[in-house]
Amino acid sequence: MTQGAEPPTDEELVEAVLEGDRERFGVLVDRYQGRLVSYLFRLLRNVDDAHDLAQDVLVKVYQVLDRFDAQFKFSTWLFRVAQNAAIDQIRRRRLKLVSLRQDDDEGEGRDWDLPSPERGPYGEMRNRERGDAIQEAIDALPWEYRELILLRHFGELPYEEIAHLKQMPLGTVKNKLFRGRQMLKEKLQDFLED
Amino acid sequence: MTRPDHSTYREWLNLDADGALPAESRARLDEHLAACPECRAERAELFALSNLLQRSSVPVRPDFRQQVMSSLPSAGWESRSPRTWAFPAAVFVLLAGVAAFTMGGRGAHSSLLSALTAVAGMFRASAVAGAGLISASWKGLGMAFAATLSSPMSLGAFGVFVLCVNLVLVSLLRRRRTGAAEAGRERSRR
Repeated sequence: MTQGAEPPTDEELVEAVLEGDRERFGVLVDRYQGRLVSYLFRLLRNVDDAHDLAQDVLVKVYQVLDRFDAQFKFSTWLFRVAQNAAIDQIRRRRLKLVSLRQDDDEGEGRDWDLPSPERGPYGEMRNRERGDAIQEAIDALPWEYRELILLRHFGELPYEEIAHLKQMPLGTVKNKLFRGRQMLKEKLQDFLED
Repeated sequence: MTRPDHSTYREWLNLDADGALPAESRARLDEHLAACPECRAERAELFALSNLLQRSSVPVRPDFRQQVMSSLPSAGWESRSPRTWAFPAAVFVLLAGVAAFTMGGRGAHSSLLSALTAVAGMFRASAVAGAGLISASWKGLGMAFAATLSSPMSLGAFGVFVLCVNLVLVSLLRRRRTGAAEAGRERSRR
């Protein structure tokens, strides 16, 4: 039995799209949609906004795909565009860094649900608590740590790509990630044993 | 070989939780973990945190890919892609072949030469006609420009006309873009 061929790299897919095979862009969408939506959701705190912005980012990237420099990683480029777009949107909407609970108190309600590994009323409640706690812990991080934590844990970018994206030395990226994680651990202590 | 200090082990634990620990450090970390309950607990917490964050990822809407693909615009670079030029090139080759065939009968070499000469003649005629049209256009443009500048009234009317055309174009573009984006989002929300 022959083994399946290696999946094409991002850069090969970009090349194929630039040669006129538009459908290959769909493979890139499949590859990044989960990470992109989760990453944007943690910045925007609204699942519809995260989907809308992820769509805008992918369309924008497609429009300027010929400017992609293949000596860099596609994912670095994609997340740089996504981060800039999210910051623009946060600024435009003057989204204050308030907790989800405050949003609920103001009657805006929660329009997202986390995947529920636990069923039943108690499980649902625990999932909701956990979701709130994660968002609050992330929001409480200083921006310099938060952006790296989001790129690492939701964007799933390796250290080297984060260093390149943020134009920081690799050691600084590692250091900030470690410190950011320590802060998260302290805030999420009650949920680490779930 | 000197033993790493505790802060180095902590750094290695973080790298380990990210799957980025170099192989050469793995054995030394494992050795340390076997003897250090504090680092074992730290390791467990770091893995639990990674797992917790991973589980909190948002599920993507099932039609997201379709939405993105259907909203892709015609990008500027597409007009420069080889596929765009494949059809015109094929038509050109076909026409050259037909020309060679119809002029055939004097041998393959001479018929190909005749076909190429005919195509070159056609291009030359097109270039001459194009140059003539451009020259006439410039003359016409010059006359229109002179008429516009002839009085302040006609200059003012021209300015108002240009402004109106621009406003109409901008409003049409904005309506088209926001309409398409909104329709897509509405569909996905439904």
